[in-house]
Amino acid sequence: MFIINCPYCGDRDQSEFKAGGEAHIERPKQPTELSDDEWAEYLFMRKNIKGDQFERWNHTHGCRKWFNMVRDTSNDEIKLIYKMGEKPPTK
Amino acid sequence: MLNYNSSLKEDKNYQGLTVREISPIMKLNLRGKSRDFLTTIGKNINMILPMEANTSSSSDNYTSMWLSPDEWMVLSNKIVDKENNNYDIEKLLFNKISKTKLGSVTDISDQFVMINLNGEKIFDLMSSGCPFDFSDFRLKVGSVTQTLLTHIDVIIHHKEANSVNLFVRRSFSEHLMSWINDSASRL
Repeated sequence: MFIINCPYCGDRDQSEFKAGGEAHIERPKQPTELSDDEWAEYLFMRKNIKGDQFERWNHTHGCRKWFNMVRDTSNDEIKLIYKMGEKPPTK
Repeated sequence: MLNYNSSLKEDKNYQGLTVREISPIMKLNLRGKSRDFLTTIGKNINMILPMEANTSSSSDNYTSMWLSPDEWMVLSNKIVDKENNNYDIEKLLFNKISKTKLGSVTDISDQFVMINLNGEKIFDLMSSGCPFDFSDFRLKVGSVTQTLLTHIDVIIHHKEANSVNLFVRRSFSEHLMSWINDSASRL
């Protein structure tokens, strides 16, 4: 269990949130022109790295807003939280 | 028509805590972002919607609570007429907001049950089933939070010292009441 600082509501318990997977995956501009492999790559393939990962989270049981988070997957340390639509930080 | 099948059969009294349902109360959900939306609401209900997170504002007739950066709940301070559920303010706002596509106005009077908790032990009760940290909340009258109480979505409004209003979805209200009953007996 850990505390997440919602960019709208402030510090809240993790149980109020839902994780929404990896962030900043761009939808292909022309899905009809992709091969099945390329489409599968977009749909299913995720990095799942050990270390700092860019993720989307939703404050489901609070303000119901989505936001982005940089989290270290090895120790759940939250490095950064930023709102949807904001540019991800360059490493 | 309003559903008057109350989840709370009678007012409950415990040591340092009383629990009662207050009904019927008019509740409206307002959503919108634009400046026009905010000024139109302000003019029509004679109050400014709270812009700061987790706060509320109130006038003689209405209280509005911040739910999200673009979402508010407005409720009547007094009990409304039992015989009908037509509210002038809803019609007015619907015409000025929804019809003009400034935002949305939804009548949620029946969706939420309003439970009033009173007494010095209210925060002890809620802390026993809630991950939310009430240390700042209890010091500030007017604060609002949406959180989980025994895994049930609730909106908690700190109305005045030692008095909070709990808003819970009607289908969960009976379950929440049985938890309050059980938990309050062991405070």
